[in-house]
Amino acid sequence: MARPAPCPIYILRGAGGPINTLHFSCHGRDTPLLFSGSGKGAIHMWSLSIRRAERIVQGHSGSSVIWVNTVSSTDTLISQGRDMRVCLWDLGQGRSQLVDSLSTGSVGFCQCSMLETGSRTCLLAFAGQQTEEINIVELPSKTPVCTLVPDEKLGMVMCVKMWQPHSGGPVLLAGYEDGSLLLWDITQKSKLSQTKAHHEPVMCLTFDPEVQRGISGSSEKQLSSWILDRQNNLQLQDPVTLTNPGVSQLCIRGDGKLLASAGWDHRVRIFGWKHLRPLAVLQYHSDMVPSVAFSDHEDPRQRLLAAGSKDQRISLWSIYNEGPDTL
Amino acid sequence: MESPIPTPDVRLDMSQCLRNLALSSPQQDAINALQTIYSYLDEGSQSPTTSLQRAEFRRSHFTRTLQVLVHNIQADWLHHLTAEQRSELWDGLFLCGPPEQALPVLMEGIGELRLGSNLDHLIGIMEKFLQRGRLSDLLWSYCLEGQSDSPQLRETLLARIVALPDLIANKLHHNNKPAFLPQQYYPQLAAGMLTALERTCKALKDGTSCSLVFVAQTLGKLCAQGHSGLVLATMSHRMSALTRTDMVWRRVCYKLLDNVPLRWIESVLTGLVQAVRGPDALGRIMGNLVLTNKTAQFVITHKLLLLQYKYETRVLRVILGYLAADKDRRPLLIKVLRSIAQAWANPSAVKHTPLEQQLYVSKILILCVSLLDDAELQELRSELLQCMLGGMHSHLDSNLDRVRRMGMVVGECLSSRMNVNGTKLTFQYEQDEETQEIVSLMTSMNMDESDLESEDGIIPPQEIPANSSTCSQPSQNESEMQPLKTDADSDLDSDDELTPYDMSADQEMNKVSPPRYLRDCLESLMCSEESERVELSLSVAEGLVRKNTFATKEISVQLTKVLLHMEDKYSIHGFLALRQAIMVALVVTDCIPVTEYLTTEFYSLDYSLRQRLDMLEVLAAAAQELSESTPGYTDTAVAPNLTSCSANNTAHWQQVVEKRIQAKTKRVSKGVTQPPLQAAANRYSPVAGYFFFPLLRNYDKPQVTFDLLGSDHLVLGRLIHTLGLFMYLAVNAPIAAQMGHALLDFVWALRYHADQMVRRGILFAVCSVFLAMPCQSLLVDLADQLFETRSWLADVAEGDLDADCRNLAVHCLVLMDKSLKKELQNPHARSIES
Repeated sequence: MARPAPCPIYILRGAGGPINTLHFSCHGRDTPLLFSGSGKGAIHMWSLSIRRAERIVQGHSGSSVIWVNTVSSTDTLISQGRDMRVCLWDLGQGRSQLVDSLSTGSVGFCQCSMLETGSRTCLLAFAGQQTEEINIVELPSKTPVCTLVPDEKLGMVMCVKMWQPHSGGPVLLAGYEDGSLLLWDITQKSKLSQTKAHHEPVMCLTFDPEVQRGISGSSEKQLSSWILDRQNNLQLQDPVTLTNPGVSQLCIRGDGKLLASAGWDHRVRIFGWKHLRPLAVLQYHSDMVPSVAFSDHEDPRQRLLAAGSKDQRISLWSIYNEGPDTL
Repeated sequence: MESPIPTPDVRLDMSQCLRNLALSSPQQDAINALQTIYSYLDEGSQSPTTSLQRAEFRRSHFTRTLQVLVHNIQADWLHHLTAEQRSELWDGLFLCGPPEQALPVLMEGIGELRLGSNLDHLIGIMEKFLQRGRLSDLLWSYCLEGQSDSPQLRETLLARIVALPDLIANKLHHNNKPAFLPQQYYPQLAAGMLTALERTCKALKDGTSCSLVFVAQTLGKLCAQGHSGLVLATMSHRMSALTRTDMVWRRVCYKLLDNVPLRWIESVLTGLVQAVRGPDALGRIMGNLVLTNKTAQFVITHKLLLLQYKYETRVLRVILGYLAADKDRRPLLIKVLRSIAQAWANPSAVKHTPLEQQLYVSKILILCVSLLDDAELQELRSELLQCMLGGMHSHLDSNLDRVRRMGMVVGECLSSRMNVNGTKLTFQYEQDEETQEIVSLMTSMNMDESDLESEDGIIPPQEIPANSSTCSQPSQNESEMQPLKTDADSDLDSDDELTPYDMSADQEMNKVSPPRYLRDCLESLMCSEESERVELSLSVAEGLVRKNTFATKEISVQLTKVLLHMEDKYSIHGFLALRQAIMVALVVTDCIPVTEYLTTEFYSLDYSLRQRLDMLEVLAAAAQELSESTPGYTDTAVAPNLTSCSANNTAHWQQVVEKRIQAKTKRVSKGVTQPPLQAAANRYSPVAGYFFFPLLRNYDKPQVTFDLLGSDHLVLGRLIHTLGLFMYLAVNAPIAAQMGHALLDFVWALRYHADQMVRRGILFAVCSVFLAMPCQSLLVDLADQLFETRSWLADVAEGDLDADCRNLAVHCLVLMDKSLKKELQNPHARSIES
């Protein structure tokens, strides 16, 4: 007999708008934090120890915040809004001050991707003004690194993911409106591989550099999983079929054991990452879930899963934390 | 002993001997006489008689001698002989003498004697006669020289040989010996014929001329009397094996068949084509007989293919393969193709021949086309195209699913073979055994080679590798399994520690909440553009209809109207079934207004056939449901079949008819064995008339778009079937008598309708009249019609083209007889009548 479906351990309320994006920042802090970006332009900084919003940053002049991230080495928060701006905030010593901002020129929903390259520098990839254009800039200097434009018409850039492989320069994987996935070499500015993973626009993707394997979701009923072989070719593998169509975000836990998907059907699904075996369906929200995130706690037993929904609530879950290795 | 004029000598000698035997003379005289006679048969060198004398004896005295012996079988001296003497002298005469004379005498003797030891004696001799292969000697003796005996004698002998098992079985009844059973005798006779043929071959090689007329006659007569299976099974294998290498054998086989009298050639040929394994074997045995013998040609190219339709596909392959194998015979194949194509395309044939024959013709057509080579195909192309187009048209026009499907498959096969401008027809149809068989005829023509191999008892070479491959397969599988297993093992360490939670709550989501009131349903069905709302409304409406009767009654007719005109705009899953279920619920809940609406609309303008059929289906299902309210009365096994909405009406139909009648026939015969029923009101019987009579009203008024008695016979068949169902469900209702009367009147005009579906419907309706009408009113009200109905049913049962119709008619007759008998035996009823 299977265990009954799990319940959330806590609900964070009061965001005042649909939750578009979530970001944990627990590593190396005394108070673990959860950042959330709402549809009304507010960025909430939730303290997970008191489970209250510690600070609220109003940026992007009321436009929806679609992505937040922190640079771990500095107390810098990066947020992206629908007002076509990316803002850098200084959060050090209780400040919440707009340090810098840059204009992306993109009207789409494509979330940025950040890759820390040095102690203070990082690369930021975002969709550009042209339909298929991806711009990469170096922060905090804001120097443009390159612009990636595919040869053929693939439609809008829907999602990007940057990472640093074990050898060679950083690479970027982008999902496009026609369902294609393109792998770019950033230093060479060249396309490494291309595959058509979906019939519908790619809504989200994630990649695990450890096992060279990734997964992408769209508005269909299927998650498409693929591997990157030694020649940097994307190869499609068996898809995973969902009960209801539409996935807005995919997230792999830091230890590479779990995959979480945020579904349009109000549910968060948990899969074993290795074989993509369905493990649990988290049902709490009463509206679409645009965002899901695993925390980066140092102690694996404290790791949390957060899901932010359009019903203005963030649910926190503790799931599969008592593995035999942690006992 | 030598004498210049032996003739009187032999005669005198013989008459002396016979006198000794006939008069009960002393034993020694009899023995001497027997020995003398025996010496005339002895062919040894130290024989005391000359060859001339022996020939003389054989020619004119042997039969007489044997007759005398049989006549005096109860003589004293015979019983005093020792067993040895008897078997040597007495029996030996029968077994050593000319078999063609011995056999008739033996048979005559067996025919005359009564059961007893003497008869047993003769039977014993007969057994030995067969065992020693005297039959083969007999046949051979006729091969060797033109026997000079009279045709009558030959005829008698032939009859005796062929009918021997029957004659002996008639005599011996239960004491028959296994040697005389047909299963033993005929193969033995066939072996005898083969031996005679073999001897003929040898003689021909030595330069002696032989005649095969008698063997051929025997073969012909055997086949004509229906023993072709047993005889030709033995002969064809051996013949096909021998003709493979030996040209003389081929010649002999051809001659044998050529010599079969014309009146028997058909049965020989039909037996032969069924017995041989492949077209090549048939070609070797028959040679070009079809070219030289007109009757054979007629049988092979016309009768077996176009007039009869009982042979299996293998036989067809043999026949057509035989025609195709030789360039002299190929014109015949083309001739066959022409006539078959004509038969296939003929619209009247599609309508008036039995389905089985149409299937048979289709198979032949496909086989012929697949045997043609490209040049011939090119030549016949325009004709074939014509045939294909015409035939497709008439097949697709048919009401019967099977005929349509057959047309589609054949059309596909023909077009793919003819390759018209590189395009070919494709149809959507459900695959079944029949279609697959037809399609397979196009391709697998070279499979009978292996058959040929195995027919000589040689193991085909493929057998062994096939076996070894099956042996090696498991090992391959294992080797395939191995890596999989290790893979699975490596899985264990990672994912299995994560036990899944219960995920049963993970259901498909509905974005819209289902409507709670029937009026909401109606609104969303009428004007909603959202597919989900429509789907939800459809799925909940039935429950709502049944839950709130008052609300339903307010809008029932309106909702029915909406549903009737609704189209499956959003390809909703199970749309037809849902829609039908709601309409049935409406009829059941608010019976009279909705029924009135539906029955009026059935005859009004501007409905599609599908909608009219829907109306009938809904009414039928509703009537079924209403009548079910009496618990335990209706056969529950039948119920789901009727209410289900199915796309293939024919299968549904046949099933229902079949099950229903069978179930009911049983019930009548069981009579009172059923336990007493709980009383409950039958909701159908008070309203049966509302279902029934309006549908009878307007059938003969053709509308612009709807001509029930003309082209729309599909609906007509369905209508009559539905009426029959209403009739049947109204059993025990007071109105049943009127309904039955009206229904019989209605179907009377249509009873010889050209369409099978209509005829089936009519017969079903008549069945239900006999089932549902009270017996006494059957006699009182319908007395004048019963007689005519009966003769019509008998006519259908005997002569209808459709097997289902024939069965139904038989059922009808049985039911009618049963209820009449019951009525006539019932004294109470008789008093009422008087």
